[in-house]
Amino acid sequence: MPGRMIQLGNSTRGALSRERDVREAYAAHSGELYGFAARSLGDAGLAEEAVQETFVRAWRAGDRFDPKIGSLRTWLFAILRNVVIDLGRARAVRPAVAEGGIEPSVEPLDEALTAWQVEEAMRRIGDEHRRVLVETYYRGRPYAEVAEELGVPEGTVKSRVYYGLRALRVVLEEMGYED
Amino acid sequence: MKTRNDCREWRELLGAYALGHLEGDEKIGLEAHLEGCDQCRGELASLQPVAQMLPHADPARFGPAPQPPPDLGQRIAATIAGEDRRLQQRRRRRLFGGFALGASTAAAVAAVLLLFVFGGSEQSPQQKVEFADLPAGITIDATLEPHSYGTEIHMYVHGVPSGTLCRVWLRGANGASYPAGTFRYRWGDDSDAVLSSALDLSRTRALVVDTGKRTFVAPVDRSAAALQTANKEEPT
Repeated sequence: MPGRMIQLGNSTRGALSRERDVREAYAAHSGELYGFAARSLGDAGLAEEAVQETFVRAWRAGDRFDPKIGSLRTWLFAILRNVVIDLGRARAVRPAVAEGGIEPSVEPLDEALTAWQVEEAMRRIGDEHRRVLVETYYRGRPYAEVAEELGVPEGTVKSRVYYGLRALRVVLEEMGYED
Repeated sequence: MKTRNDCREWRELLGAYALGHLEGDEKIGLEAHLEGCDQCRGELASLQPVAQMLPHADPARFGPAPQPPPDLGQRIAATIAGEDRRLQQRRRRRLFGGFALGASTAAAVAAVLLLFVFGGSEQSPQQKVEFADLPAGITIDATLEPHSYGTEIHMYVHGVPSGTLCRVWLRGANGASYPAGTFRYRWGDDSDAVLSSALDLSRTRALVVDTGKRTFVAPVDRSAAALQTANKEEPT
């Protein structure tokens, strides 16, 4: 559909005001945004709604996005966060749907964001690193047992835990995490 | 283990230490090393926040991430294109509102642009309707959009007394009128009234607006409507 590539809107509008910019932003960030929306809302349909609303709001407010202040990704996540809060509130007043849903307050959403960040980072680090972190930390298994199962010295398991945490840190920073 | 003097060997224990997994001599030895090693203390400080985030995550979710449905991007693009179209219509009205004749040139250019930009199969082509005999100070602006159920009508009225009840019809080729509904004009409201009629756009010959005191009739261009029908029937 070549017509779609034509620049739309007034040229005085900002970085995300053109349809093409939205398409590029969607291609770059929709996966992550959807992942977080699905994680925090716990519902695929609502997650779609949230991602759609995020890009529409971003497009409407396109002239307010300033790349000097923060990345497009950070800005989109900030919008999504508000959308998720709105959807959570909307769902809270519809009890039939709200069962087992999220609380519409901010605190659980921040927890959901942290959880999603770690889970996403875990997906991006190497298999060996993830494996030792899952076995030793999440399953609480002794290092010696894990070492035996993997056929490596116990010291190697310890060093993999160290390099795994470091890799997580690097990936989290890439995802915008700051201390 | 006690003989570790290589900083790297101590450093590689920092992960297990940050997770609280180190015990006995190894823990004591590492803590002694940390006392005297700025680098390792710095490294530990960078791992601790990560270790503190781990309990929030659910290891059952470390598998492949859920993906958005493949057509979501298209749906978002269509929503934005629709909103952009409405925004541009409104902007044109603000620029040319009250100068119906001057607006017609801009509208013609815009209509060509709209047909070009939104000429794809997903977007219905719109048809602009001109009211030629309006009294000074009154603006009526309308666009018609073909649908399978009939015709969608976007009306914008300006200049009649606030609260005026406006009734709208489409007139067919045989002279019969098909009601499209009513709306009330309010001062300061710059929004479109969206109405619909069961009459097909290709068979519509006129748009009629009754404001109570007066009735305005605008011809609907038959050739443009016929062209749109032809386009609609083309296989995509």
